[in-house]
Amino acid sequence: MFNQNGLSLDQAPPISVVLRFFLSGSLFGILAGIFILFFQNNIFNIHSPEALTLTHTFTLGIMLSFMFAALFQMLPVIAGVTLKFPIKKAQLLQYPFILGVITLLFAFNFTHAWIFMLASALLGASILYIVIIMLKNLLKLPNHSASSKGMSLTLISLAMVILLAFYLTATLSSFNEGSYYLQVREAHFSFGLFGWIALLIISISFQVIEMFYVTPAYPKFVSGYLPLKIVALLTLGLIISFFIENIWVLIDIFLALILTGYALITLKRLTQRKRPLTDATVWFWRLGLSALILSMLSILITLFSDNTLFSKLSYIFFATFALSIVFAMFYKIVPFLTWFHLNSQGYFTAPMMHEVIHPKTAKKHLYIHIATIVTFIISLFLPQFIILAGLLTTLSFGWMTWQIIHAWRLYIHTQKTGEKFDMGTI
Amino acid sequence: MIISQFMTQEHRDCDTEFAAAEQAAANGDWADAEEKFMLFANDTLRHFKREEEELFPAFEAQTGNSEGPTQVMRYEHEQVKGLIGKLAGAVESQDKDAYLSLCESMMILLQQHNMKEEQMLYAMCDRVLPPELKASTLEKMKEVEI
Repeated sequence: MFNQNGLSLDQAPPISVVLRFFLSGSLFGILAGIFILFFQNNIFNIHSPEALTLTHTFTLGIMLSFMFAALFQMLPVIAGVTLKFPIKKAQLLQYPFILGVITLLFAFNFTHAWIFMLASALLGASILYIVIIMLKNLLKLPNHSASSKGMSLTLISLAMVILLAFYLTATLSSFNEGSYYLQVREAHFSFGLFGWIALLIISISFQVIEMFYVTPAYPKFVSGYLPLKIVALLTLGLIISFFIENIWVLIDIFLALILTGYALITLKRLTQRKRPLTDATVWFWRLGLSALILSMLSILITLFSDNTLFSKLSYIFFATFALSIVFAMFYKIVPFLTWFHLNSQGYFTAPMMHEVIHPKTAKKHLYIHIATIVTFIISLFLPQFIILAGLLTTLSFGWMTWQIIHAWRLYIHTQKTGEKFDMGTI
Repeated sequence: MIISQFMTQEHRDCDTEFAAAEQAAANGDWADAEEKFMLFANDTLRHFKREEEELFPAFEAQTGNSEGPTQVMRYEHEQVKGLIGKLAGAVESQDKDAYLSLCESMMILLQQHNMKEEQMLYAMCDRVLPPELKASTLEKMKEVEI
C-alpha cells in the first residue's frame, strides 16, 4: 500500500488531467461574469431563474470543476489512491459534465421538462460515475488519514446533492407533485454548500496547510471528527425535516458554529507558520477563512431576523470563502506541478515555480479578487455597481485562464525544446 | 515510538533551519543566508544518510521487502538532493528570485515526503523492529556523520 502513496511520477496523474478542470472552471467563471452583466441585480432574488442560473454556474461550473481538479491531484498524494487511466476517466467525466451544466442553465431559463431531464441525465451520469469510482478506491484503503476519511464523506455528500437534485428536477418537469419540494431543496442546498464545498476544502486543508506553510498539525479532535459531525448533522436534518420542517434552523446553527470554529483554528495555524514569508496564497487563505466566519455570522443573523441584506451577504461571503481557497490552492498547485512533472521527466531546463506563475502575478489577482468582493457588497447599496462587479468577475477568471494557458504552453515548450537528463543512467 | 520521535524531531529541526535561511535570503543578507542554508543542507543530507545506511536496511532486513516504501523514499531523497544543489547555486549567485522560487518547490516536495515517513514508514519501523534492534539502530543512526 505504501508504494501507492506518493507523489512519484507513476502515481501522480498527468498534468493535463488537472489543468483541464482548472481551465473549464475558469471559463465557466468568465461565463458567470457575463451572466452578472446581463442579469444585474436580479441575481440577488434568491429563487429567480437568474439567481438559479448564476448559483449553478458557480457551484457546478466553477466550483465542481475546480474540485475535480483537486480530487484527481490530491487523491494519490494525500490519500494514496491511484486512479487507473486518469485521462480517459477525466474525459468521460468532463465532456458530459460540461454539456450537462450548460443544459441545466438553459433549463432554468426555458423551463421544458425534457431539458431538465437531459441535464439530470448528463450531470447525474457523469458525476455519479466519478463519485463511485473514487469512493470505491477510497474505501479499499486499509489505513485512513483524516484527509482520506474527509474526502470519502465529501463524495458521499456530493452523491446526496445529485440524488436530491433528481427529485427537484423531476418536480420542475412535473413528473412528481413535489410534496417534499421545500425540504428536499433545503437539503440539496445544505449538502451542497456544507457537505460538499466546505467539507472538501476542510478535508484537503488538514494536509495542505501543514504541507504548504509548515504549520503544526491540526488537533486530532478536529481532523478526526469534524467531517463526520458535519455529514451526520446534514443527514439528521434531511431525515427529521420530513417530520419537522424547521429542523434546518437548528442544524444550520450547529453547522455555522462548527465551521466558524474550523476557520478560527485554521487562522491560528497560519499564524504558527515556520516560514515567516507571506505570499499571496497566505492572504487568499486568510481572506477565505475570514469570509467563512462572516458568512456563518450572516446566516445566524438571517435565521433570527427577516433581514434580506444579511441573507445576501451570507451568499457573497460564502462564494468569497470558496473562491479564495481555490485561488490559494491554484497558485501553489499549478506552478508546482509544472515544475515537478518536467523535473521528474528529467528536463534540466524545467522552469522554476516562479517562472510558471510569479508571486507578483498571484498578488495582482488577489487585488482583483478583493476589488470584486468589495464591489459586490457595494452593489447591495448602490445597484449600478453590479456592472463593475460583473466586469471584475470576468477579469478575475480571465486572469486565471491566462495563467493556465501560460503554464500549459511553458510545459509543452519545455518538452519540445528542453535539455534532458537520461534518467536511465541515474 | 523511539524511531518516530527522533526522526520526526530531525524533520522539524531541518524545517526551522530552512525557514531561517529563506528569511535571510528574502532580506538580502547573503552571508547569513549561506550559513543557514549550509546548516540546513548538511543536516538534511545527514538525516538522509542515517536513513539510507541504517534505518532502511534494518527495515528491509526485518520485512524482507527492499522494493517497497524504502525504495520510494530513496527516489525522493534523490529529488531533494537535486534541489539542494540548485539552491546552493542560487545562494552562490545571490539570485533572490531563483532562491525563493526553489524554496517553494523544496518545501512542498520535502513536506509531502516527511508526511509519508512520519505517518507511515517510521510508524511501521517502530512496529516491526524488535526493541533491541530498534535501540541499536537508533544509536547507530546517531553516530552517522557526513
